[in-house]
Formats: sequence, structure tokens, C-alpha cells
Amino acid sequence: MPANKSTRIALFIYGLFIIVFLYLPLVSVGFASISRARYLSFPIKQYSTKWYTTALESSTVKDLLLTSLSIAVIVTLISVVIAFFGALSFARYQWRYRTLFQKLILLPIFFPQTVLGLALLMWFNALGIIPSWKTAVVAHLVWIAPIATLIVAIRAYSFDPSLEEAARDMGADTGTILREITLPLLMPGLVSAGLFAFLLSWGNFPLSLFTTGADSTLPEWLYAKMVSGYSPLVPTLGIMSVVGSFMIIMIALAISWLLRANRESRAASN
Amino acid sequence: MSDIALLRLRGVVKKFGGFTALHGIDLDIREGEFFTIVGPSGSGKSTMIRLLVGMDDISAGEIMLRDQRIDQTPANLRPTCMVFQSLALFPHMSVGQNIEFPLKLRKDSPAKRRERALELLDLLRLPRTYYDKRISQCSGGEKQRVALARALAFDPEILFFDEPLSALDYRLRKALEKELKDLHVRTGKTFVYITHSLEEAMVMSDRIAIMKEGKIEQIAVADEIYSAPVSRFVAEFMGEVNLFDVISVDGETLQSSALTISNDVTQSTLPVGGKGLLMVRPEDVQFVGSKDHFDYVLEGKIHAEYALGSRIQYEVEADGKILTVETLRESRIKDSEGLPVTLGFNASKTHLIGDA
Repeated sequence: MPANKSTRIALFIYGLFIIVFLYLPLVSVGFASISRARYLSFPIKQYSTKWYTTALESSTVKDLLLTSLSIAVIVTLISVVIAFFGALSFARYQWRYRTLFQKLILLPIFFPQTVLGLALLMWFNALGIIPSWKTAVVAHLVWIAPIATLIVAIRAYSFDPSLEEAARDMGADTGTILREITLPLLMPGLVSAGLFAFLLSWGNFPLSLFTTGADSTLPEWLYAKMVSGYSPLVPTLGIMSVVGSFMIIMIALAISWLLRANRESRAASN
Repeated sequence: MSDIALLRLRGVVKKFGGFTALHGIDLDIREGEFFTIVGPSGSGKSTMIRLLVGMDDISAGEIMLRDQRIDQTPANLRPTCMVFQSLALFPHMSVGQNIEFPLKLRKDSPAKRRERALELLDLLRLPRTYYDKRISQCSGGEKQRVALARALAFDPEILFFDEPLSALDYRLRKALEKELKDLHVRTGKTFVYITHSLEEAMVMSDRIAIMKEGKIEQIAVADEIYSAPVSRFVAEFMGEVNLFDVISVDGETLQSSALTISNDVTQSTLPVGGKGLLMVRPEDVQFVGSKDHFDYVLEGKIHAEYALGSRIQYEVEADGKILTVETLRESRIKDSEGLPVTLGFNASKTHLIGDA
């Protein structure tokens, strides 16, 4: 639909407003992180990067990052595997109670996460498992694996099953079909599912709060410091976390871009 | 074309739960022929082709290829290949990689694969530069050719087609029908084609099987299907047709409400009191002038007129029903609606369908 000039200007201002609304808080945290002062206050009188130096040297920070990263990486890997097989079984096979099962496994997403976290903690206690970052992995999976499955399923549903049949008809066995047809075609879905899984796990607070036990993730620590005993490292670590997430997305995009370029050059050369 | 059956079906039954999709099919397909299976949706033709390529299991009966049973062999081990309705081209591969796919599975060297792919591009009249194109960059007709090239790269004993032209527009479909027929001649392969369009089948096929409700109604060459159908279903499947209910009054004559037909011309084998259908195609019915002589004559009134391009179709009310008449464009009648006319046709142009 062609828009006239005043509509275009109105849309531009509207868009700008949304962007400012979304990013202004983040930008203020960014400024706070490079303020010399120990307490969050505006305007900033003196700038410094000393909190970054402190953060990088701190062993607490190292432990927090390591815990958060371990949980996120393991959750991502397991979620992607579950999502791949789950999505294929939804999209490709007819089985009894399939639609009911599809709805039931999505239910945890609709639970308030705090309730889910508490319920899981009670379960772990009942089973005699002492909560640690490993139980947090399980808790994250309960919530994240269904989301990852949903993302891959969208891709799997749009996948024409006759592609696999055609490959089989031309002599491909099940392993070859998986390697040559199914995996490459579901790859974009698997990459986005992996990204979502990582980011949701990395930033998760309510599930971690209940289930990490004595261990602590980055969001948990940030919350604790806000509630009691503010640390000037809060905005610094906040920004570092955002930058980390952003870099993960960039790395994933770069990998998928490289894979595609590689495939195209192979297509051109053989 | 030889008379030896390459593919032989004996009593093939397919059941899905309580529903029987195919009721004991017997069929012989000869080496090198262009064989088409035609039927409306739900007739079992798609079920049939899935059994033939091995994507579904048969419930009973035998399928034999060169006298070897293949019905228990999985699709990936059968020496046949199918062009899918969706074409099933791999979107993540180039045109060349698609064509080479069966050769790659056979572990041919990259150089040999490439050479064969380029030959097939030539055979399908696609420029060699298409080798590196992406599938999404190809037009509908080009995709058809790539799918064909890929199936031919497999070098199958039988090439199956599952309505590959049904999604195309009319003109492209017509052009590709002719190309496919030409390709059949040039490759000498056995083609087995499934379609719901008898018109498409007529253009391309050596022989046609008509399917209805999981059974084969008739197997014959195209001309015979058109001129001598064995049932009302087959007669009506191929476009417009005029059918008269007749009853055999004695050994000599057949009687319909408006016509008395001498048995000499129809060679009827109907027993006395037996019922049948007398068929005459619209182009064999004419408007009677003063000097014309026809074996059978009917009085009627023109009800409607349709221009079909080279021909004109009239609907004429006669014998208490609507008859269809087709004439050439130059013999068009002006202000035809409501005009009383006399229709005539000759016994030699009629065909009697028994047991109606």
C-alpha cells in the first residue's frame, strides 16, 4: 500500500518513539555502568571504566558467569535435540492422542514461572535431590524445551514430506535422508530454537531462584544486590550480560551465513 | 514396444483400516509403453502409484517386475522412480545437485555426475548454465524439467508420474504434455502416468486404464476409450456424451422412448428384455437439412448455445431430455435459442453399452 508523505512521517515518528521507549532504559544502564559513583544517580558527574576492570578481576563474577553459561549451554544442547525429535514426531507421524499431547507439553509455558520453580523445588526435595545448578538445568528444560520444540515444529510443518519420500525413492536409506534432506532443511529452525533456548536460559531468574540451591546465576545475583546491599557492579554486569547475548546471536548468524556460503561454493564447484 | 509384461499386478488389494481402497487389481504394463491410469479423486489411482513405487505396502496380491516379486521390496531398493505431484525438488540444493542426487547415492565420481547432469540438461532442453541455479530461481516449467532430469538420472526401469502437470496453467500444460510424449519416444523408457484428466491421458498415452472406486473399469488404447466405452462412467468421463436408455424388445430391435434401432448395426448381444445404453458423441449428431439422410432422426428445440472456439455446442431439448450437439463454427445457426430443429445421426457412429 503506497503511503502519502504525512503518513510516512507519522509512521517514522511512531517507530522512533517505540525504539526510544525500548532502548532508553538500556542506554541509561549503560551510562550508569561507566559512572565513577558507587550509587546510581543522574546526571553522571564523572565517567570511569573502573567497574569493568573490577568485574573482570572478580572471582565472584567469574563464578556467576560460569554457572550461568554452563546452565545455558547444557539447556541449549538438550533442548535442540528434544526439539528436533519432538517436532518431527508431531509433524511427520500420526499417532493416538497426538494433538492432546501437543497441548499438554506446552502447558508449562503458561504456568507462572515462580509457581513452576516452587513446584519443581518441592519435587526435588521429595525425591531427596539437593538443589544445585544441575537441578536448575532440569527446571530450565521443563520451561524451555517446549518453546524450542514449538519453534522447530513450525519449520517441520512447512516441510514437504514428499522430499523425504523422493529421496527414499531414489535409493537413499534413513540415515542418508536425515543427513542430506531433513537436517539441512530443519537447520534454520534448529538454529533459532538454539538461540532462543540459550537466551531464555541465560536471562532466566524465577526458575533459577528456586532451583539453583547454593549456586547462583547472574540474574539471581543481580536481583540479590538490588534488594539488599547495592553493588556498583550491577549495571556493569547487566551490560556485560547484554553484550554477551548479543555476541552469541552474532556468532550464530555468522555460522549460519558461513554454512550457506560454503554450500553455495560447493554447489558451484562440483 | 514389446508385448512382454514388464510390470504385472495380480489381485492387488489395499486396505486402510476398514476401508478398501483397491479391490483386487489385475494389470499388465508392457515394456516401453506410455501407460496412463485415469480416474476422479478417490478412485484409488494415487493409492495405486504409491504401491507401485513402494511407498505403501499392499494388503494382498502380487506385484512383479520382470517376473520377480517386488511388492515386499522397500522403495529405496526398487529400480523404479517417480516424478511427484509436488515435484519434490530439494530446495537447499542447486539444479545440478538435484539432478546428481541419485548418482551421488550410487557413489559415482563428481566428474562423472557432472557430465551426466549436463547431458540431461541438454536432453530436457535446459541451458547448461542452469546447473548452478537455485531451485527457487526456476519457473514452473523449468522445475518440471529438472524433476524429470533427476528421475532420468536414476535410470529407472519404470518412470512413474503422479499428476506432475496438474498445478500448471493450461498453455504450459499443453506444451509439456507434448514434450513428455516426445521424451518418451526419445528415451524409450516405460512411463506410467497418473492423472485425473482423460484429455491429458489421450494426448500422451499408448494405453489408458480408467479407474473407479478402487477398480479398473476399462483398459484400452485412447481411441477405443473414446469411441467404445464399456460403461456409462467411462462414456461420461470423456466430456459430453448423449446416452439413450434402450431395451432389447426382440432379437432384431432395440427400443428407446423416441428411437427404434435395428440390431444389425449395433451387433447387440443383449438378451431379450435386456437393458443397455446407446451412445453417440456430440460431434456425430447433426442438424438435418431437407436433402440429408440419417439412420435416426429426432425432433427437438434448441435450448442454449455455447461457443467453444473452433466449434459451437448446442443443447437441444429432445426425447424429454437435453442432448448435446457440436458443429463447426462456420455452420453456426443465428438466433438459435428456442428454434425447432431436427437432429440426425447414423448407426455407424453409435456405440452400445450393455448391462446398463
